[in-house]
Amino acid sequence: MGILNNALPDIAPVRAVDAAVGWGRGSSLWPMTFGIACCAIEMMAVYAATFDLDRFGAGVPRATPRQSDLIIVPGTVNAKMAVRVRRLWDQMAEPRYVIAMGACVCGGGPYVKWGYNTVKGVHKIIPVDIFVPGCPPRPEALMDGILKLRENVTREAVFARREATARILDARGG
Amino acid sequence: MNEQQLHAKLLASGLPGIGELDTSARDPFVRVDAGSIVAVLTFLRDDHDCRMEMLHNLTAVERPDAIELVYHVCSLARHHALTVKLSCPRPDGGNHDTWIPEVPSVAGVYSAANWHEREQWDLLGVRFAGHPDHRRILLPEEWIGHPLRKDYVYPTWHDGIPLELDAIPLYEPGGGQAAAEAAAASAAGAAGAAAKAPRKAGEPLFQPPAPLSTRPLAPGGKTTDTPASELGSH
Repeated sequence: MGILNNALPDIAPVRAVDAAVGWGRGSSLWPMTFGIACCAIEMMAVYAATFDLDRFGAGVPRATPRQSDLIIVPGTVNAKMAVRVRRLWDQMAEPRYVIAMGACVCGGGPYVKWGYNTVKGVHKIIPVDIFVPGCPPRPEALMDGILKLRENVTREAVFARREATARILDARGG
Repeated sequence: MNEQQLHAKLLASGLPGIGELDTSARDPFVRVDAGSIVAVLTFLRDDHDCRMEMLHNLTAVERPDAIELVYHVCSLARHHALTVKLSCPRPDGGNHDTWIPEVPSVAGVYSAANWHEREQWDLLGVRFAGHPDHRRILLPEEWIGHPLRKDYVYPTWHDGIPLELDAIPLYEPGGGQAAAEAAAASAAGAAGAAAKAPRKAGEPLFQPPAPLSTRPLAPGGKTTDTPASELGSH
């Protein structure tokens, strides 16, 4: 939100506006259409009718990073893909959130020792908000991750100056 | 035909460099010389009784004394299959850095061999003479080395991408060693100057963000972690 972001005093009216903005952001997390490996199959199941991510306002996968708030990284990130992941994340507009889905993305997974071209965790390239471990995670686990993220986003201070939020925004590269 | 008959057929063809049939393996295989592999596969493909129209696998094995190439050919029309092997003996002291074996490409015989040979070049470092498109297929083009060789040295970074588990310290709640080092660096006044220095050749294109605990809030801001209770709700 530009120059007002995190710049106003932490008083009741500002908090009220923050609550409204946070509610809006948290209730319309639009993920990017993005899949790398087998975890993407589970992610597709989450979008589909059985689990129906649209119940939480996150069922609108966007075809471009410029329209999306959330990038779910589902699958092994190798040296070639890491450049693309980073570029996609760079193209996303603030506020942007990252979910690392699966063992490979959380820390290398089965490739942690002998994976010569595997990035041992996507947090080494982009800042991650939520880690969802599993190989691959059940759809329920990813949904839980998205709900946890939604909780964080809803509680985030947007205008009010609060050190914890400033630190998170800073870490996110915002 | 079974493998013995196919082998007899190959011997009867008069082609040079055809070795014995080894039936001890589950898939009996014929050893051939590197120089005659193209002629042998062309014969197996074109002969009316063989009709091996399909190369369904081309792979390589590194052994202590050689790198062995394995060609699996089969015939859908005749319902038989044969494994052909050729061996590139390792010279004395031949290792990952000094020894790149070279064999003739069979991409002209079987189009399927094109990508398979590129894969063997990429991962095991076998050069295929006469290949129409001799590039890496899986790894980035500027990758150094061939990772499935036994003496391959694992890279720590590749073009700004960290590949080692410990390439970047993980986030440690409460600061940890990384925070202490960052505090020491900023106290010395060297951190800011180092960050703004122009990128030198070979340096990473970008540095991933530092762990949360090492980032100061503002000039002079505190770097300690905020307790979860202070994150609060509205």
